Amino acid sequence: MADSKKVRKEDLAGLLTEWSRDYAVLAPSRADGVARMAAWDGEDISFLDWYRNTINPVKSLFLPPVEEMFSISRNERGHRIELPPKDDTGCLVFGVRPCDARSLILLDVVFEDAYEDPYYLDRRRRSIVVGLCCTNPCDSCFCTSVDSGPAATAGMDIMFTDIGDNLLVEGISRKGKELVAGNATLAKATRTDENRARKIRLAAEKKITRKIDTGDSKERLLAVFEDESFWQQVSAKCVSCGVCTLLCPTCYCFDINDAMTGGEGSRCRSLDSCAFSSYTKMPMENPRADKWRRVRNKLCHKYEFYPMLFDNIACTGCGRCIRLCPVNWDITQVLDSLPAKHESKI
Amino acid sequence: MSYSAAKNSQMQKKLRQEAKALLEQGKVDCIIGYEPGSLKHATTPLITKDKAATERLVINPFIVNNLSNFLPYTKGRIGIVAKGCDSRSIVSLIQDNKVKREDLFILGVPCSGLIDVSKVEALVGKYRDEIDDISRQGDIITVKVGAAKKEFSLSQVMFDNCLACELPTPAEYDVLLGEPTSPIGAAAESAGKLDELKAMTAAQRWAFWQNEFRRCTRCYACRNVCPACYCKRCFVDETEPQWLAPMPQEPDNLMFQIIRNLHVSGRCTDCGECERTCPVNIPLRALTRDMYDIVDELFEFKSGMDTKTQPLLTAYEVDEAEDLVK
Repeated sequence: MADSKKVRKEDLAGLLTEWSRDYAVLAPSRADGVARMAAWDGEDISFLDWYRNTINPVKSLFLPPVEEMFSISRNERGHRIELPPKDDTGCLVFGVRPCDARSLILLDVVFEDAYEDPYYLDRRRRSIVVGLCCTNPCDSCFCTSVDSGPAATAGMDIMFTDIGDNLLVEGISRKGKELVAGNATLAKATRTDENRARKIRLAAEKKITRKIDTGDSKERLLAVFEDESFWQQVSAKCVSCGVCTLLCPTCYCFDINDAMTGGEGSRCRSLDSCAFSSYTKMPMENPRADKWRRVRNKLCHKYEFYPMLFDNIACTGCGRCIRLCPVNWDITQVLDSLPAKHESKI
Repeated sequence: MSYSAAKNSQMQKKLRQEAKALLEQGKVDCIIGYEPGSLKHATTPLITKDKAATERLVINPFIVNNLSNFLPYTKGRIGIVAKGCDSRSIVSLIQDNKVKREDLFILGVPCSGLIDVSKVEALVGKYRDEIDDISRQGDIITVKVGAAKKEFSLSQVMFDNCLACELPTPAEYDVLLGEPTSPIGAAAESAGKLDELKAMTAAQRWAFWQNEFRRCTRCYACRNVCPACYCKRCFVDETEPQWLAPMPQEPDNLMFQIIRNLHVSGRCTDCGECERTCPVNIPLRALTRDMYDIVDELFEFKSGMDTKTQPLLTAYEVDEAEDLVK
């Protein structure tokens, strides 16, 4: 917490207005009845009172539910392909929770891996992620089981912590430190402010009671991989909708479709979900026509394949998949029920 | 009969005995019911062949899922827990030959209505997990948050479709777990959104729905929890020719729902599952309930009331609904 700053709550709107000069500022809003990141309206900071997390994860700002990759038009000589107009404004997202901030790190490596994905990375590189430490986590949150926590700073440029009348402000990344340094609206935080923040964070961490042991989940999943009866049982109540994947902060699968009329239109990519039976449908067969195979794939992607590739669990414990599931399918219960390695039949 | 927690726990006890006996005597291969969920004030479907698991079965004001949704995908003989609305969906599935009556053992729950936790959240200004207790005695719902205690009426906290429910006690069952209940009879109080929409001009309504469906994620939870949506191949997945763009965009999102609503007309029992499960709170029941009322008005047909009636769209009488074709 060295060099931390603070801002009075009544001055937060002023600070965001300042940042609005250089960035498109987004902040939590429930204007249409659903909590989401939306263009900040220039005055409303009431989210400090009601906001716990958004329904749509922060990924949707960088990997939107649907986007045009290029447009296709016709002229006398044939077809013309054009990239969408480039927007040079960077965005500053205010109020990103630690789980969602962490998800961006997990997504970055995917979109930088085999080749650079210009659509995602361009938006990411122009963004400032301003985190808001969790003080009131939900009972579905399990971030502390997956290398995160209510005060984790991974993926953030700046972190704010609500300490009562003030917000504690800490520069995290180089970009964030630069933004914080020399800002006249911010005052130097006192030792008392920092101690208060420490206490609040500790209390938040204690509130997270949903805990799972993910230490050997990779090995346990591998061991139970071919146990069809286990997966049948685990997947029985799943209805194969896309809630847990489309609204997951780390799910990144997408589909590409052409939207064409009369030879003109655009090529779009949109989020896909491995819960759908059409997900891996191929001309000859569908390797995951059975629901249990798809549920297995979802779990293994997050806790086995991804960790094998990138050394991290592709889950941030945000709990959306538990809170929003139509049947209260609970990933933590399933992970808990994985047989220990030596108990498995295989 | 008025609701009491004691009667409810009696019903639950009976359910556990019946379910266990059904499995023990080999009368069914599996039981589909509810068990406590992993969230507060929630339940989750329990699909089991295990006799011991029947001890986990519950009946309480949070048994929201319409379990008949699992029937077409579950093999063998099934013992299924059914509230009034669920029993209508089961009947509808029997009429449509999606499930055989003789393969079912229906454990009927005379329902007193279910509590919509999102309404409670709005009333007390707290989230689900911050609410310590929600209990019902008679027609009063008591909500506790810390030391604070508030009382609410049924019309304040019950699901809209429960307020408008016409058949709380299943008409089709093999055993009824308690004494029959009567409808809450507060349809007028549940019609808020629908009345608001009906007061609009067509252009205003169109604008309203376009705006609502802008946030649709096309997760298809509405379709996948709907017992009437049992098509093996949904029109939205058709690619040759493509009916709708497969990505979440307007007007395709709204068109999807309009077509879905038409497809389930005459089979929708107003169980309210589509609206409840929508993660982005699109008021889908305003569409489905309107269709339900239109079907009733034009054809004097209410879906799933008895197994003898022919499904609406397979029966035709020469003198019916003359003004449909002009």
